[in-house]
Amino acid sequence: MPDMHILLVEPEALLRRTVSMTARSLGMSQVHEAATTGVAMRMVRQRRFNGAVIAVECVGSGTERRYDLSLIDELRAADAPGGRPMPIAILADQATPTLLAELRDRRISRVILKPFRAKVLLETIAGFGGGSKGSGGDTPPNPFKS
Amino acid sequence: MQVAPTPDNEAERLTALHALLILDTPPEQRFDKIVQFAATEFDVPVVLITLLDAERQWFKARVGTDVCETGRDISLCSHAILQPGIMVVPDTLEDPRFADNPLVTGDLKVRFYAGAPLAMASGLRLGTLCLIDHRPRTLDAMELGILGTLRDLVVMELNQQSAVDEAPDA
Repeated sequence: MPDMHILLVEPEALLRRTVSMTARSLGMSQVHEAATTGVAMRMVRQRRFNGAVIAVECVGSGTERRYDLSLIDELRAADAPGGRPMPIAILADQATPTLLAELRDRRISRVILKPFRAKVLLETIAGFGGGSKGSGGDTPPNPFKS
Repeated sequence: MQVAPTPDNEAERLTALHALLILDTPPEQRFDKIVQFAATEFDVPVVLITLLDAERQWFKARVGTDVCETGRDISLCSHAILQPGIMVVPDTLEDPRFADNPLVTGDLKVRFYAGAPLAMASGLRLGTLCLIDHRPRTLDAMELGILGTLRDLVVMELNQQSAVDEAPDA
């Protein structure tokens, strides 16, 4: 199994387990599961990851409702200066222009929209490994993918 | 139509199945959510958790059919439990074992079948988690991996059932 450690933040346990167990059985990478941003924050402070797939949570209400991107900011803060940024894919209910602009600023590799399928997540994780060879990383590919 | 041969360990297999005390029990969310997840993941109309009793296959969880059991003689799953790996039939009409099977020619219209045997720690295969489509198709390596994982999750739930049944009274 490649020595790749991937962080998967997803509240739905069955999807999370299916992705992590299948990644292990196919010898792809070691997927570390977190059900919430809070749990993921603690994991990020304890070890380094080679990539992340993150379901972004909505916080606030009414006109103050927004996506919580604090985990992405935490991961980006840990990127080596001048180096290739860690590949990060986002799971979101919908892609609003505001969200996409915020994600673009944070150099997100891919946006995956509902319904989330384990195969799409696994293909994304597999792409993290392939992208590490010879990629400058300064210009992320078109991230939009449902 | 070919009727599947009876496994060599049939008596032991049936003893293990009956010991679970799961046959003819009501639907349970822990199994239902797995078949619902599989139906969406693989985009198939029918997903079943089948348990192979002596004369019938009984469905512990099902999506896409109201039938709760069929005769074992026409069961595709009774073929699937004969091998340790996932049995994939890309097109039943092209397979002489199944082309004239009533499940293929009748209302269920089984054209594609993939069955992952529910193998317990003992090695006994009690049934399958199976996908059914009304059109020919196949599964790639990653999809086979995902089906294998979902099968493993069903087996974990069956093992929990076994642990509960064997627990001493408090």
